[in-house]
Amino acid sequence: MNNWLNHQLQAIKLVLSRMHANSLSSSMISLVIGVAMCLPSLFYIGVDNLSKLTDHMQNETEISLFLKLDVSHDTISEIDALLAKKPEIKQYYLVTKDEAWQQLQAKSKSNPDVNDAVNQLGKNPLPDAFFIQAKSVEPDDLASLKTSLQSIPGVEQALLNTEWAKRLSTMISLSKKLIFFIAALLAIVLLVIIGNTVRMQILTQQDEIEVSYLIGATNSFIRTPFLYAGVFYGLFGGLFAVLMILGITLTFNYAIADLSSLYNSDFSLTIFNGSLFLTVVSTAVLIGWLGSYLAVTRAIASVIQLQKNH
Amino acid sequence: MIKFDQVTKRYPGSDEVLKNVSLHIEAGEFVFVTGNSGAGKSTLLKLIAATERPTSGTVLIANQNVSQLKASAIPFLRRRFGLIFQDHKLLYDRNCFENVILPLRINGVPGNEAAKRVRAALDKVGLLHKEKAMPITLSGGEQQRLAIARAVVSRPSILIADEPTGNLDANYAADIMAIFYAFNQVGVTVIMATHDALGMSATQNRVLHLNQGQLMQSSPSITGINQTASNSDVSTS
Repeated sequence: MNNWLNHQLQAIKLVLSRMHANSLSSSMISLVIGVAMCLPSLFYIGVDNLSKLTDHMQNETEISLFLKLDVSHDTISEIDALLAKKPEIKQYYLVTKDEAWQQLQAKSKSNPDVNDAVNQLGKNPLPDAFFIQAKSVEPDDLASLKTSLQSIPGVEQALLNTEWAKRLSTMISLSKKLIFFIAALLAIVLLVIIGNTVRMQILTQQDEIEVSYLIGATNSFIRTPFLYAGVFYGLFGGLFAVLMILGITLTFNYAIADLSSLYNSDFSLTIFNGSLFLTVVSTAVLIGWLGSYLAVTRAIASVIQLQKNH
Repeated sequence: MIKFDQVTKRYPGSDEVLKNVSLHIEAGEFVFVTGNSGAGKSTLLKLIAATERPTSGTVLIANQNVSQLKASAIPFLRRRFGLIFQDHKLLYDRNCFENVILPLRINGVPGNEAAKRVRAALDKVGLLHKEKAMPITLSGGEQQRLAIARAVVSRPSILIADEPTGNLDANYAADIMAIFYAFNQVGVTVIMATHDALGMSATQNRVLHLNQGQLMQSSPSITGINQTASNSDVSTS
């Protein structure tokens, strides 16, 4: 155990001193890993924040039923009776055109511009409307309810308020799948890059590997320093990525603060996302380890072959 | 200690490099392996050092059958040997001290103990004052002595040297031979391939002579002393 630990420490020391000696190329490769990790992470942050925004909108299941402007009181009571019988409906209420008109006038008083506009209208342009709360929250149920309401005589338009939110949410879940594929592709690229870097190192260390092998080094002894090299590239690359993500989200939040105040929103990106950072760093470390493992396993086999053919 | 029984070695796409070689080397012996180049000297040494496995026949080293050893056990068998190559196989990217410490790193000898043993090994080959020097600055003879220091630092019981004096002039060669004799004196088994008679003249050591892969004779050198006794160890085919 002590022996094992000693060997690990020696390997780490060796790798760090080698990386220090080639600090330029080591930081370049870490930077490449950082950028590659950064791209899907930023995409993820954007989509994740958007989906939080739309999530609470989706939970509204209200359908607005606007009646034709010329409907009679009888028709309204007929529709009322019809709605009362529908089992899909949890509750509903009627806002008549007069009530709506009063509400609009009352609301507009606080804003002089709107108030002027309302007063200039002269007569009430608003229709009677039912506001309906459905029992189900499933998009399909809501859509079929909407269609059936639309066909009631006297109804001008049935509006499902959450339709655009649904559409957005579908796009977001599509984007999430897209992120997965982009991340997977970048992971393959990183595997190749790291594998290649480690392979180049192995080539420069070929004499040492051959001699070590001849004088009784085990495969794991030869492999260990290169595995640590891959792990350190991944670690430093992951940390680079976290720094870049932090920098970019902070800059973005500054820029968006003005914009979102115009929309009375306090929208901003979550800056510190611990689990994301942990995922980024550990994925980078894992990819580093795997890339160098593949490279070193192949290289050792070829060195042994070479040595045998001598 | 080392026993070959009907050993044949064939590389893919070549003739038999060794044919039906049987031999027995006792602990503490000093054995020369001679023969023209291509006679199979290097292959014989590689089989002894377990860097190659026989095509047929059995190779026993310290009562372990090399052919039946698991690949993962081979490195540990190899650590019993000190290997010295004609081309030294030194690492030119590090100084003498770092070259010699490599086997101890592989063996997991901790730092202070390792440093002591490296200096002792460098002292034995007369290179203690050069521990910080880079190998490329050493003469050919010094490089070979450095290679010997690396081979003996882990205190192996068997030294295997493939033409260690092949590239050296006579003075250096004599130095190197003296070092090998000194190790043999303290009980280390030495197996040395050589094509020049100079290194082994005036010795009464056993000579394994290879000709086109066959073991031709096994004699206690030119002097002829104990010839019959040694021959009984070896069957020639």
